[in-house]
Amino acid sequence: MTWDTRGPAAGDPFTPDRGSGLAAVAAGNPGERRGAVPGPPPRRRSPSALGAAVVTVLVALHVLAWQGTGFSPADLVRGWRGMADFIGEAIPPDLSWPVLGPGIQAALVTLYIGLLGTTFSVPFALVLAVLGARTTAPNRWIYQAARSLLSFLRAVPDVVFALIFVTAVGLGPFAGVLALIFHNTGVMGKLWSEAMEEIDLGPRDALRTNGAGGVQVVAHAILPAVVPQFIGLLLYRFDVNVRSSLVLGLVGAGGIGFLVNQSIKLFRFDQMATHLLIVLVLVIGVDLLSAAVRRRITV
Amino acid sequence: MSVSPGRSAGGTAVADRSPSPEAVPSLSITGLRKSFPGRTVLAGLDLRIPARGLVAVLGANGSGKSTALRCVVGLEQPDGGSIRLHGEEIVGLSGRELARRRSRAAMIFQKIHLVQRRTVLDNVCAGALGRLPLRHSLVPALFPRELREEAMECLHRVGLADRAGDTVGRLSGGQQQRVAVARALCQRADVVLADEPVAALDPAAATQVLELLSDLARGQGLAVAAVLHQPELARRYADRVVGLARGRLAFDTAPEHLSERDLDDLYAAGEGAS
Repeated sequence: MTWDTRGPAAGDPFTPDRGSGLAAVAAGNPGERRGAVPGPPPRRRSPSALGAAVVTVLVALHVLAWQGTGFSPADLVRGWRGMADFIGEAIPPDLSWPVLGPGIQAALVTLYIGLLGTTFSVPFALVLAVLGARTTAPNRWIYQAARSLLSFLRAVPDVVFALIFVTAVGLGPFAGVLALIFHNTGVMGKLWSEAMEEIDLGPRDALRTNGAGGVQVVAHAILPAVVPQFIGLLLYRFDVNVRSSLVLGLVGAGGIGFLVNQSIKLFRFDQMATHLLIVLVLVIGVDLLSAAVRRRITV
Repeated sequence: MSVSPGRSAGGTAVADRSPSPEAVPSLSITGLRKSFPGRTVLAGLDLRIPARGLVAVLGANGSGKSTALRCVVGLEQPDGGSIRLHGEEIVGLSGRELARRRSRAAMIFQKIHLVQRRTVLDNVCAGALGRLPLRHSLVPALFPRELREEAMECLHRVGLADRAGDTVGRLSGGQQQRVAVARALCQRADVVLADEPVAALDPAAATQVLELLSDLARGQGLAVAAVLHQPELARRYADRVVGLARGRLAFDTAPEHLSERDLDDLYAAGEGAS
C-alpha cells in the first residue's frame, strides 16, 4: 500500500476537502487529515513486568514437567536396539490373506463404530447445544445445566466410557458405539453451541418480534444460519471418532484396534504392521472424504 | 409493481377515506422512559402514529428513535410510560395476551434480517410463526398451503411474486427489504415500524422501498412509522414528520411545514447531547 508514504502535499489526488477527510478517517489514517503533519510513529512498548512474569512461570512449568515425566533423550538413544528389533520384525508386514482379510473386516467394524457413534450423538448434541448456547438458552439455569453436562461428557475420555460400558454390555463393538455417543455428545454439543453463539442475531430478533416461540426461532432463524458449520463440524467429528474407535478397540471394544492389541501381545509385529497399514488407509480415506464434503458445503 | 409514484393523491386520501384517523391512533406512546447504564435514552417520549399514513421519525443519533420502536415490538423493556396499540396497553403485560396485542405491530430493520439461505417464500411465511402451532411450523415443509398462498399474495403486494422461489441471498438489498415488508404483511400487521429501512440502500432502491411503504400506508391503510436520516425523503414521502431530541418529542408537523430551522435545532440538540 502506498497510503503511509503519501503526505498531504500539494498535488495529492485527495485534495483536502470534506470528502477526503472523511475517507481518511474511515480508512483509519489520521495522517491524511487536512494540513496535519504526521508525527513520529508511536514507540513500540517495551515488554511489561507482567509479560516477563508469564514467561518465567511458563519456563518453570516446563522444567517441572521435564522432571515429572522422566523425559530423557539419552534413554531413547540407549534403547535404539530394542526399537530396531521391533521394526526389523515388523518389516516386511505379513500381507497374507489370513491376516489381511480379518484385518479389513475389523477395520470396517471400526468405521461402523465411528459412524454410529457420531450419528446417534447428533440428537443429544443438538438439544444440549441449543440449551447451552447463550443465544438460544431459555434461561440462565438451563444454560448452566446444559453447559455442565456438556463439560462432564467432554471431560470423561471415550476410553473411560468404553471401559464402563464393557462392564455393562460386555466386550465388543457395541460398548464402543455407546462410549462414542456419550463422549461425542459432549464435544460436538460444545462446538455446535459455540457456532450458534457466533451468528448474527438479527434474524432471531426479527422473528421474536413477530411472536415466534423459542423452538420456532431456533428452527427458522438460528439453525438455517449454522447448517454449513454444523455439517463441517459433524464430519470433522466423524473423522476423529473413527480414529478414536481404534483406541477403543485396544480396551476391548472391538474393531481393528483389538487386532492390533492382540498381535502385539502375541509378538507378531509383522501382523501388527499389516493392521497399522489398514488403519492408515482407513484414516486417510475418511479424512479425504470429509475434507471433500466440507469443501463443497462451506460455500 | 403495484407501487404508485409520488404523493399527489395521497394527501387528500388521508382526509377522505378515513373519517377521523386522529380518533384512535394505531400506536400511541405516552411518557415512555428507558435508560441504559449511564445514559437516559427515552425521557418521557410522547408519540402518536395515526391509523393510516406514513410518519417519518427524524432525530440525531442517540435521540431515542430506534429504542422507542424496539420498546414497542419487545426488543427492549421500557422503564416506564405507556404504549397503546389500537388503544390497548401493552406495557406491563406478559405472556399470551401481550403476544396477541403486539402481533399487529411488525418491525423492519436497517440490516433487513432475513434468513439468507432460505427462499423468499419461506422467509415471508416466517412472518406468520406467531399464529402457527409447532406441528405446522417446525420446518418450512410443514407450512400449510393456505399460508403459502397468503405469503404469495403478500409478495405480490410488494411486487416480488416472481422471485418467491429464489434464495434471499440472490436478491439485491432493495428487493430484500421489500421481502421484509412482505414478511410484515404476512404477520397481518397493520402497524409497521421501520428502523432506518433505507439507510443501507442505494438511492434508487431507497426510493422504491419508501414508495412501497407510503403506498401501503395510504392505499391499504397501514400505519407506518419510518426512522429516516434524510429530511428530504421525509418531505417527499411522509404524511407527517416527527422529530425526536434527547428522548423527547421535539416537533410533530406536516411535511410541508417542516422548516430548516426545525431540522437545524433537531440535529444541533443531538450534538449537544453527545
